[in-house]
Amino acid sequence: MKNILIVDDEQDIVESLKFVLEAADYSCCCAYNGEDGLRFAKEIEPDLIILDVMMPKINGYKISRLLKYDNKYKNIPILMVTARSQEEDKLIGEETGADEYITKPFDLDDVVRRVDKYLKG
Amino acid sequence: MIKILFISDREDKISEYRAVFSSGAYEFFAYTDEKIIGELVTDVVIVDSALPDVKSLCKKLKSKNAVIILLGDNFDKETEKFISAFLTENMTADWVISSVNVSLRVKNALNALSDTNKNLADSLYRLNVLYDTSSRFAGTLDKNKLIQYMIEGLDKSLSFSLACTLSFFEEPVLLLNSLYDLSEELVSSLKMRMALNYKSKFENSDLDVDSLKAVKYVKHPANKFTFSLLQQDSLFAPISLGDNLYGCIEIFKETPFTAEDTACFQTIVQQVSLPLKSAALYQEIIETNSKLEKLERLKSDFISIVSHELRTPLTSIKNSLDILLGGKCGKLEPSADKFITMAQRNVHRLGGIINDLLDLSKIEAGKMDFQFKQMNIHSVIEYVKSTFGGIAKAKNLNLTADETENLPYICADSQRLEQALTNLVSNAVKFTPEGKTITVKSSLINAEDIHAPECFAQSTERLHGEYILVTVEDEGIGLAEKDFLQAFDKFAQIENSLSRKAGGSGLGLPIAKQLIEAHDGVIWCESRQTGSKFCFVIPAAARTAALA
Repeated sequence: MKNILIVDDEQDIVESLKFVLEAADYSCCCAYNGEDGLRFAKEIEPDLIILDVMMPKINGYKISRLLKYDNKYKNIPILMVTARSQEEDKLIGEETGADEYITKPFDLDDVVRRVDKYLKG
Repeated sequence: MIKILFISDREDKISEYRAVFSSGAYEFFAYTDEKIIGELVTDVVIVDSALPDVKSLCKKLKSKNAVIILLGDNFDKETEKFISAFLTENMTADWVISSVNVSLRVKNALNALSDTNKNLADSLYRLNVLYDTSSRFAGTLDKNKLIQYMIEGLDKSLSFSLACTLSFFEEPVLLLNSLYDLSEELVSSLKMRMALNYKSKFENSDLDVDSLKAVKYVKHPANKFTFSLLQQDSLFAPISLGDNLYGCIEIFKETPFTAEDTACFQTIVQQVSLPLKSAALYQEIIETNSKLEKLERLKSDFISIVSHELRTPLTSIKNSLDILLGGKCGKLEPSADKFITMAQRNVHRLGGIINDLLDLSKIEAGKMDFQFKQMNIHSVIEYVKSTFGGIAKAKNLNLTADETENLPYICADSQRLEQALTNLVSNAVKFTPEGKTITVKSSLINAEDIHAPECFAQSTERLHGEYILVTVEDEGIGLAEKDFLQAFDKFAQIENSLSRKAGGSGLGLPIAKQLIEAHDGVIWCESRQTGSKFCFVIPAAARTAALA
C-alpha cells in the first residue's frame, strides 16, 4: 500500500484528506506542523507528500525546497496546498519544486485524482 | 540768498558787479583766479572771458553743477557748451540781474525734471519687481519657495541690509537674509526682537524664543554687522490672510524708508499671503489624499487577508459535507440528505462570495494579471453558454446565442472575459422566471453608433473606432433607470437586499465592470419592455502594445 504524508496545521483538513485517501486505499501519516512534517518525510520516506504552505515555524515552501534540493528525497512528489491564489505565490511554489499546486477550498475527489495520477498512473 | 561767485582779474569789473548784486537777495564773492574751485559751493558763477584759458576753467566749473555765465563775447564754440548765458560788457544792472535769474530758473527746472525722471525710473523698476514677484508667486504651491520669492522681491525693490522672516509651517523658523554675517549674540537679540514684535501684534500668541530655530543666509560673509544694525530704519508686517497667520517679516535698511518703500513692502507682503493660503490648502488636500489612499489599501489588504483566513475553515466544512454526501459514511436519510445538500449549496455560495471579494480587491489593488491574446469573442460566448446549459435547462430557461459571423478578433484575456460574461449571464439566469428566454448577442459596432443611456455617457464618450458589442438580454424583473449606475457600484450592491435574496455576493456586476474596463471597454445596461439588457464593448483593433 502506498504511503502518503499529509502536513497541515489545520487538523480538520488533515482529517478529511486522510479519510478520503484511506478510502482510496492509501495509508496516511499525518504531521500538524512544519518541523514534524520535515522529520517524518525524512524518516518514513513517503510515496507522496501533501503539504500546506502556511504553517508556523517552517512553512511549506521551505520544506519543499529542503526536500527537492536533496538527492535522497527529490523524487517524492509534492502537492502544495494553500489558501492563497496570487500569481506570485504560484511562482514561489514552482521555484521550490512542488509538483502540483492546489488552492483552498479544494475538491476532495480532485485531490484523490491528482494523487492517483502520481501513484497509480 | 543766492550766492554769486565772480571770477575776474579786472578790478573795475569786480566793483561794478559787486554794486549790481548789492541788494539783500544776493551774496557776492569775487576771486581773481580759479584756485577756489576745490571747495566751491555756489549757485551762479560769472566768469570773465578776458581771463586766460576760459574754456578749461568753464569745464572745471561745470562739474560743480553751478550755473555758469560768461562775461564778454570772447569765447569759442567749445566754451559755449558749458555756459548757461552770457553778459555783454555794457549791460545795465537790471539786464544782468534778469539774466542771472532766468538762468537760475532754467537750471532749477532742469534739476526738478531730472529728479522726477529718476523717481519715475525707480517706480518703473519697482513695478517690474512687483510684477515679476507676483508672477513667481503664481507659479508655485510650495510654501518655502513662496517665502523665498517674497524675500527676493523685497531685496530687489528695497535693497535691505537684513530681512528677518518668522515663518510658521511645520515649526516656527526665523529666516535671516543678511547682507553681512551676524554674530551669535546678534542672532539671539534678533530672535528676541521678533518675539516681542510678534507678541505685541498677536496678544494671545506664544512663541518660545529658546527653541526658535534661526537660519542664516549671508550675502557677503567676509563682513560682519555690529549691534548698530538694530538702529537702522526698519519695517515690520505680519504675513496673514483673514485669521490665518503664516508669519511675520521685519526688514532693516541703512537709509530711512520712504513712503513709497513702505507701500511697496506692504504690497509684496500682502501679495504672498493668498498663494500661501492656496499652498496650505493644497498641502491639506495632498495629505487627505494620501490618507485616503492608505485607507483604501488597508481595506484592500484587509479583505484579502480575511478572505484567505475564511477559506481554510470553509475547506474543512466543504470537505466534511462532500464526504457525507458522497455516501462514504453510509447512505443518508432523505431528510438528512436534503439539509446537508442545503449546507453544501451555501458553502459553495460562500466560497463564491469570498472569490468575488478577493477578485475585486485584487483588481482594485492593480494586482490582477491579464494575459492578453488575439482571440475570437465566439469562444467566450460558447464557453459561457455551455457552462449555463445545465442550469438553464433545470430552470426551464431558453438560453440562446445570436452571433454575427466572422467578427474581427479582439485582444483579450479569455479567462477574465469569460468571468465578466459569466457574471452577466448568471444574473440573467437568477432574475428570469421559468419558461422565459435569455439571449446573448454579438456584433460589430462603430463607436458613433453606440447609444447608451445618458448616465453612462461619461464612459461611452471617449470611445472611438470599431468595437465588438456583446449583449445579454433577459425577460426577468428588469432594472429601473435610476438604479442603472448603482448596479455597477460595489458599495451600493453590498446594501442591496435584492441581490442577497437572489444569492451571490452582488459583486458580479462591479467585477464585470472592472474586468471590461481593464480591456479598454465599456459596460452599461439599457431598459427593455420586459427584463433588462446588459451590454459591453471591447475594441476590435489589435492592441500591439499589450501583446508585446
